[in-house]
Amino acid sequence: MTKLLEVTNITAGYGDGPAIIDGAHLTVEPGKVHCIIGPNGAGKSTLLKAICGMLSIRKGDVVFKGERLNGLRPDQILRKGICFVPQERALFAKMTVRENLRMGGFILDDKKELERRIEGILERFPILRERADQHAGTMSGGQQQTLAMARTLIIKPDIVMLDEPSLGLAPKVVQEMFDIMKMMSAEGVTVLLVEQNALMGLKNADWGVVLDLGRTLFEGPAATVLADPRIQELYLGGKKAA
Amino acid sequence: MAEILQILILGLALGGVIALMGSGLSLVFGVMRIVNLAHPALIIGGAYITYLAFKAFDIDPIAMLPVAAVTMAAVGVVLYRLLFQREARSAKYSEMTVLLTFALAMMVEGLLGSLFTNTQRVTSPDYATAAFFIGDVFIPKGQLYAGLVSLAIIAALSLFLKYSRLGYAIRATTQNREAAELLGVNVQFISVLAFAIGIGLAGAAGSLVSFVFSFFPAKHWEWIAMLMSVVVLGGMGSILGTVVGALILSVVAAFVGTWIGATWSTLTFFLALFIILLVRPQGLFGEKPEMA
Amino acid sequence: MTVTLQDSSASAVIEARRTYNEKLSRKTDQTRATWFPLALLALLAALPLLQFVGNYNYVLHLVLFTASYVAMASSWNILGGFAGYVSLGHAVFFGVGGYFSGMLLARYGISTLITAPLAGLVAAAIGYGVGLVTLKVRGPSFIISSIALLMIARILFDNWHFIGGANGLTLPTNDLTVQWAKLPYYYAMLAIAAFTVWSAYKIKHSKFGLGLRALSKDEIKAESAGIDTRFYKVVAFALSAFFVGMAGAVWGEYLTYLRPNIFLLILVSANMVLMCILGGKGTIAGPVIGAILIVALNELFVATMGASEINILGTGLVMAIGLMFFPLGLVGTLARSGKLPRILNWD
Repeated sequence: MTKLLEVTNITAGYGDGPAIIDGAHLTVEPGKVHCIIGPNGAGKSTLLKAICGMLSIRKGDVVFKGERLNGLRPDQILRKGICFVPQERALFAKMTVRENLRMGGFILDDKKELERRIEGILERFPILRERADQHAGTMSGGQQQTLAMARTLIIKPDIVMLDEPSLGLAPKVVQEMFDIMKMMSAEGVTVLLVEQNALMGLKNADWGVVLDLGRTLFEGPAATVLADPRIQELYLGGKKAA
Repeated sequence: MAEILQILILGLALGGVIALMGSGLSLVFGVMRIVNLAHPALIIGGAYITYLAFKAFDIDPIAMLPVAAVTMAAVGVVLYRLLFQREARSAKYSEMTVLLTFALAMMVEGLLGSLFTNTQRVTSPDYATAAFFIGDVFIPKGQLYAGLVSLAIIAALSLFLKYSRLGYAIRATTQNREAAELLGVNVQFISVLAFAIGIGLAGAAGSLVSFVFSFFPAKHWEWIAMLMSVVVLGGMGSILGTVVGALILSVVAAFVGTWIGATWSTLTFFLALFIILLVRPQGLFGEKPEMA
Repeated sequence: MTVTLQDSSASAVIEARRTYNEKLSRKTDQTRATWFPLALLALLAALPLLQFVGNYNYVLHLVLFTASYVAMASSWNILGGFAGYVSLGHAVFFGVGGYFSGMLLARYGISTLITAPLAGLVAAAIGYGVGLVTLKVRGPSFIISSIALLMIARILFDNWHFIGGANGLTLPTNDLTVQWAKLPYYYAMLAIAAFTVWSAYKIKHSKFGLGLRALSKDEIKAESAGIDTRFYKVVAFALSAFFVGMAGAVWGEYLTYLRPNIFLLILVSANMVLMCILGGKGTIAGPVIGAILIVALNELFVATMGASEINILGTGLVMAIGLMFFPLGLVGTLARSGKLPRILNWD
């Protein structure tokens, strides 16, 4: 089993505040969809923020392709190949879709190559081509999320981390988001997802991670996590799930 | 008719200088969300640098401008590291930075006051008191030069922001700091850079101010409300807005000053600030209503 | 890969959650010490007895000066500390109070000690009017608007010839001998300070005060909880202008002259803010302690270095350090770490 990213026993929090995650670990294998579940305040988003460098890690290690990422800035980590889409989606509301995609390739030095990749993205996501010259802020939630996810593909990252991509979206649209994720993983992009809707997330994932009170309780194949009665009781809302 | 043209020209020339004074303030707010109440005090710092060079070595104030700008930019880097870097993640960031810059303004005033006393100063190059005449209309050379140099600097700044890669990064950071960071912009560096440019602009403005207005350390309190009204009218963070705001307000103030009385010309800015904050807090070109 | 979910793992989480919940519900076990401020007040009331044994006018002056700032800072705290609206323009109300009562004294010979409450009301009325307009914006915009207010007031006062313009007015002195001349103002200011602190305490613990604290946290949520935020804010502004106006009234007669560059000074505003921040914004004891600290520090700067420029530099420096390292102030920082001595817990 090859590991793409390995997080061991990390502690992190905001500013001088208390540690939100304390003793979390995580293993990410290439090409799979990983889903982190857990109740509100468990530290799921904090874990992603710590990995991408937005929060400083107080203890523990984040190792990516055998290289320690601790202490690097978000822009440096992005250059290593880890891309993060936060809950707020990090779009430039007053920029057009095309400009947003262009910002997505900020770290690329070759302008021609960048334009070619933008074309590729617009090819694959017709809805974005349709809205290419519209301000991102004027699009619907699902379209914005599509843009945020599509934008990560411009730099061809190894890992895309998504923080609750389904938040505030209609059920039908949510499934579209998961379809995009599957497509990404089929292309070899590893997906690391935080999902409030645990059942939905796990069903669409290969690997499940349960986080509570800042600690990793459990990680394993998504199907196993789904089937475990204790997890069903504690985190999946009763025994009805199967 | 000639009188109106005369007032208009005086207002516009002064407006150019005020635009430069305000542009650094606007840039610093745009990128870092810092309402820098110390900006005018730092302009006065730049004015003293120019004044000293003029008195000691007879160096022309406009020639001194790059030196004042670079010196103040360096001061800006130090101030950023000392005061603002650690506040970046504070919960009450914007309020905190206003109070911090207020404290900074007092420190700068106190420091300049103890070094140079509160005597009114002004540099007096030949052109400061000379004028061009076109028919009945006169254009004071000092104000004209200062206005033109100001607009040239602002034009250069705008080109830099629009077309350079760093400028692109600065604009992205202005719009959405977190997004810019996640897309590979080193926002820490961009913040220091933008702060340094902002304070550098204060230094540059100081050189021009030194022969356009008389100054003393405590003068900055009068300017802060004036610059705020300009920047708020234009929309905090928008350089173009600052220029338009400065030109509009200083022309209005020039008319008020001539027709009603000099005292009321300063009042124009303060009243304008009040009205704008209440009627349209995001200003003419502002896109950031969260300021309010 | 085999999956094991140990029993211990789940029960450990349940245990941790319970501890966490208990920690949240644990009440801060602190009893307040109201006797301390009362004792302090009694002591200060007896202080003028010193005049029988010698000339302690300087001591009385210092206490009076401190009391005026205790009143102003506590008053500022109602808007800035409870409601969270930082005003850098409160010197305006100091000026309004001083000039209103001072003019009555100059024209009709009525002592400011009598008209001070009236001066407070005038200041409050102006505060109410200004608040109606400026409290529409918050955060940095409000702070800037408050500076603009001060600038506007300064220009108006400087150019209003009826009240003496920039040169100001001289007020008549009282008939008492030098030894006792300060006493009426001393007691008046002490009374105003005590009244202000008491009122701030009452306001903080009233339903109104609760509403203010709620809106300082989140105005929209406070509104949806049924608080008329606009009314609350404006009343808070008026109240916080009231006591500053009273202090200004007495201060004018004590100084025996009125001048815009004494009353309408941004340094006066800055001091109120600074005292509250240093002592602890939103606490009752904070502004009092802050006032004592800053007046002491001012005296030190003036005594050791003389120049007022150094004073400004020092005030700015103390403010910056306070903001950066003790944003909660002395009382707030101590209270958070549970180390607040009982005598400083007046809340």
